[in-house]
Amino acid sequence: MRFFSFHLMPYIGLDPAYEGSAWVTCPNSLYDPEVGGTLYNRYLDELIAAEDLGFDGVCVNEHHQNAYGNMPSPNLIASILARQTSRMKIAVVGNALPLYDPPTRVAEEFAMIDVISGGRLIAGMVVGGGPEYYSFSINPADARERFQEAHDLIIRAWTEPGPFEFIGKHFRIRYVNPWPRPLQQPHPEVWIPGAGSVETVEFVARHRYAYMGIPYFHISVFERMFRMFRDACEAEGYEADPLQQGWLVPIYVAETDEQARREFEEHLWYFVKRLLPGITIQPPGYTSVRSLENILKGAGTFMLNLETWEQIEEGQYAIVGSPETVYDKLVANLKRLGTGNLLGLFQLGSLPADLTRKSLGLFAEQVMPRLRQEFPEGASVYQAASAAEVA
Amino acid sequence: MPTSLEQQFIETPVGKVQLFRGGTGEPFVYLHSAAGDTTSGTLEALADEREVFVPVFPGFNESEGIEQIDDMEDAVFHLLDVWDALGLDAPPVMGLSLGAWMAAELATRYPDRVGALILVNPVGLYLPDAPVQELFGRSPGELAEEMFADQSNPMAQVMHAMSDWVGDVGQQVEIPLELVLPVYKSLSATAKLGWDPYLHNPRLRKRLRRITAPTLVVRGAQDTFLPAAHAETYAAEVSGARLEVVEGAAHLLPLEKPEELTRLVTQFLAAP
Repeated sequence: MRFFSFHLMPYIGLDPAYEGSAWVTCPNSLYDPEVGGTLYNRYLDELIAAEDLGFDGVCVNEHHQNAYGNMPSPNLIASILARQTSRMKIAVVGNALPLYDPPTRVAEEFAMIDVISGGRLIAGMVVGGGPEYYSFSINPADARERFQEAHDLIIRAWTEPGPFEFIGKHFRIRYVNPWPRPLQQPHPEVWIPGAGSVETVEFVARHRYAYMGIPYFHISVFERMFRMFRDACEAEGYEADPLQQGWLVPIYVAETDEQARREFEEHLWYFVKRLLPGITIQPPGYTSVRSLENILKGAGTFMLNLETWEQIEEGQYAIVGSPETVYDKLVANLKRLGTGNLLGLFQLGSLPADLTRKSLGLFAEQVMPRLRQEFPEGASVYQAASAAEVA
Repeated sequence: MPTSLEQQFIETPVGKVQLFRGGTGEPFVYLHSAAGDTTSGTLEALADEREVFVPVFPGFNESEGIEQIDDMEDAVFHLLDVWDALGLDAPPVMGLSLGAWMAAELATRYPDRVGALILVNPVGLYLPDAPVQELFGRSPGELAEEMFADQSNPMAQVMHAMSDWVGDVGQQVEIPLELVLPVYKSLSATAKLGWDPYLHNPRLRKRLRRITAPTLVVRGAQDTFLPAAHAETYAAEVSGARLEVVEGAAHLLPLEKPEELTRLVTQFLAAP
């Protein structure tokens, strides 16, 4: 099992009088740069601390024009981490490829981070969220095509000696020849986040990349998703490696179960009710009609629709409690999902610095070592029978 | 006695295209809007006198081939293919909103393939002082307020019933899939033509002088989706064009004032 600390870098202190979407149209007059500066530096400290706490890596991601996550350029954050850490992996999950024109920009920046960090980059590539297509005016009807083409271009730029010509439908570059090239050969590990679309799952399985389940759905949705991934790998003629699968979930550890809930709950609801609204907008053409139909069937389980703590616990939307409780829940869920990467969101919503640090520390000291024993690297994680235990 | 239109399918280079067709006589083509309006009282009345063709644009309803159409340029070539498949030379063409934009694009590039042009609430232009309202990701109920003068219209009622659907899949809504999916499909096809640039072609305005067909521009007086300046600009830039304003109608004018539209079209075609 590999352990990652994932940070969204949310905006804390959104005007209570504002009740609209946190995305696209959320007025940026609500953003206070003084607050923002303090938050960036605090959040960087939280990411850097993961190295000394023994995590295998940290994760950052890309979102635009929103209060949910203030990393329009995760590569800027990753480049700071490349200098301020020395051992752990830096996973950028990912760059939204269709938004980069030309996408060789991604090949260049990722290679820079990989070279500067001594080969510690995990290269995440993502279609980008629906709201991004409003924020960039990129045509959502072209999203999948642009992603596919940009991906092909980036991998070729990393693996094929330049200069060469790339003439695609969306991107045309007569001289592809990026300097620097990545340190990791043939190229850094590739992660693809997905929300269960068949096309994405098959793409990841075909390329033997790693599939990261996008969070905030009921645990049964993840279970279906990873089963679909394992089946897709089997259809490609190989058995899925647990390290090819990652589960992203909010985690909060405190001294006791009661204390954990007391300290965490209000910050979780700030996340659910203030930062999530607007995240799941699907502009026309962004997904196929067939996929939309599938997604709509699970819509009711999206975290935004939850009202009670009992629902959070029942659906395993967040793993909260004493070290013992968190350990037990994670073991059961990991066996149920079969993922060999655990991506913990330790800072969530408005959770303040002191509580974030306390939870990270308790997790690293009292939960992570036991999980490493339970799930040695290289061993299978998935256990079909454990589904009943969790339920 | 209105003549009803019958469904048929024709083969085109991009795939099978659905078509509604009725009546006999001189041809008349209608290009529908993003709402996928393939029938109206106006079309049925016109089919009493003429042969009416309503080709369904790829990606709408049962027409195939949208994956081969990337922009308005491709749409215009598709229309030429449809004309050829139907043996049409230079028929009168009426379009609504998106369909009117498409008709204007065809008429600027191939003026000899359009016998007469009727543009009803046409989008397609960018006017800095008269922004077109947002179409994508809006609540259908809000759109109905802008697109209908009378909210009791059956289609306005359906849109209000779908008010909670804004394309947000994280929000639980109690709307049947059979209503949501076709809307998503039509808007996906519309996005291909009009997401960026948003419902316009920056080059269209300077090309309008190329239109040679007699042209009638019709505007719904209560249309708050598309500002009046758009119809007025078309009427001013197309040589000899006439502008008519219909009271009691908004953006989806043929669904609200079909008789008034029939009268205007019939008069115009008799004495263009």
